[in-house]
Amino acid sequence: MATMQNSFDPQYYCVIHPLDDAPEEKCSTEGLGQIAMTPTVRLSLKVLRGYLILMSIMLLYHVLDLAGIVHQLR
Amino acid sequence: MTKPQLDTTGMPVVGVLVRRTWQKHLLTFLMVFGPGLIVMEADNDAGAVSTYMQAGGQYGMHLLWTLVVLLPICYFVQEMVARLGIATGKGHAAMIYERFGKWWGRFSLIDLLIVNFLTLVTEFAAISLALSALGVGPWIAVPVSALALILMVVTGSYLRWERIVIALCLLDLTWFGLAYVVHPDWAAVGADTMLPTMPEGGITGSLVFLVIAVVGTTIAPWQLFFQQSCVAEKRLRFADLKWARLDTLIGAVFTVAVAGAMMLVGNYGYQHHIVFEDPAQLALALGPIAGTFVRNGVLLLMVNAAVLGTTAISLASAWAYGEVKGWEHSLHKKVWEAPGFYATYIVCVAAAAAIVLIPRMPLQLVIISVQVFAGLILPSAIIFLQLLLNDRELLGERWVNRPWNNAINWTIIVVLFALSLLLAAQVMLPNLFN
Repeated sequence: MATMQNSFDPQYYCVIHPLDDAPEEKCSTEGLGQIAMTPTVRLSLKVLRGYLILMSIMLLYHVLDLAGIVHQLR
Repeated sequence: MTKPQLDTTGMPVVGVLVRRTWQKHLLTFLMVFGPGLIVMEADNDAGAVSTYMQAGGQYGMHLLWTLVVLLPICYFVQEMVARLGIATGKGHAAMIYERFGKWWGRFSLIDLLIVNFLTLVTEFAAISLALSALGVGPWIAVPVSALALILMVVTGSYLRWERIVIALCLLDLTWFGLAYVVHPDWAAVGADTMLPTMPEGGITGSLVFLVIAVVGTTIAPWQLFFQQSCVAEKRLRFADLKWARLDTLIGAVFTVAVAGAMMLVGNYGYQHHIVFEDPAQLALALGPIAGTFVRNGVLLLMVNAAVLGTTAISLASAWAYGEVKGWEHSLHKKVWEAPGFYATYIVCVAAAAAIVLIPRMPLQLVIISVQVFAGLILPSAIIFLQLLLNDRELLGERWVNRPWNNAINWTIIVVLFALSLLLAAQVMLPNLFN
């Protein structure tokens, strides 16, 4: 808890630092496995694959061009 | 205020007693404050200083408007990161591994480590350039900086590291002093900030490249990994989310304002027709015109930016690698309790520093290439974030994106893809914009 009322004196708030506080139960992936392949997830991953392949080629070309290597190869 | 020992759930908890509600809110915020400011301001690293000053140096104040556009983008992306970190208590790399499988997990991790490492090289290059301009040779400046950066994290205390880094972030306030000293036309600053104007020469390949570089430097992939791990490291609680959001908003506003100040200093060089390849050259050229405060200020702030960037980026790598490897990966641990985590950090810092000491490195080319490369990789990192924030099975209804979150984030993704495609067009058809 971020804050709590002091039971001895309700006029005071007790503010606890996150690192000093009791741990709370978080959303866990335990037993869930991989994300459900909904149409949105499937499409997003396909677009991402294509994008990354294309961009990697473009970037390599651009860096080689800036470094003057493409010009030398021509 | 007093510091009592309370027994709440059977375990002793250290708290601070306050009387007023506003005191409670202020104190809670101060306790939560840190990751948002650090992730944003560390992004104003050496590469960013170079890019923003180049933007000012080449196009005056014409690109100030880009920062206003980038402010909400920065905030909305990092807010999702903070939310995911608080909801799961885990880092981004671990979440990608667990929910998207090993292939995407390894891809993201390797990408992150490569981009981060290249970026670290630029940070040390900047330290070397700036301190050389101040009369400190690279063989002293670089190893000493690397040693200091390692000592910052090996104390076994997250809070100690956080306080040091926040202090370094606040040193960036000096940029406002520098911007004030170079006397920009404030009416023009206001106009160029609010309304995009076309620079002389119109849209050129160079302009498009620089705009993409500004985007790439303002929103970097390591930020997603860093803030989520940092939030998990700080053990922020569900109730802390609103304060984490405020922290992130303050960080975003501060960072964009500092970036604007950097552009204004670059603009001073533009007004005096100074041609420069890096901020150190500009600082030296500005010395006789603007005075030693501007000269030394730019050089020292360049070092500060590089130090901030290095510690945050190296930690992003170490946290991500530690999470995926299943190692202990916490700044709360001593070196011997988390050897793999600290070794990753130390290797990243030491190897990048060693590379910079190799003579005749094409540093400016590396700096700009890294910014663009980061801009290209960013869409993939954001897509994973977006999909995770729609993972109802994992997060439940409470933490998933609302429809308006999704509308904003998909828009951001489309914009980033479009900018990347513009770069691709420029690469394939270099005369398109000339």
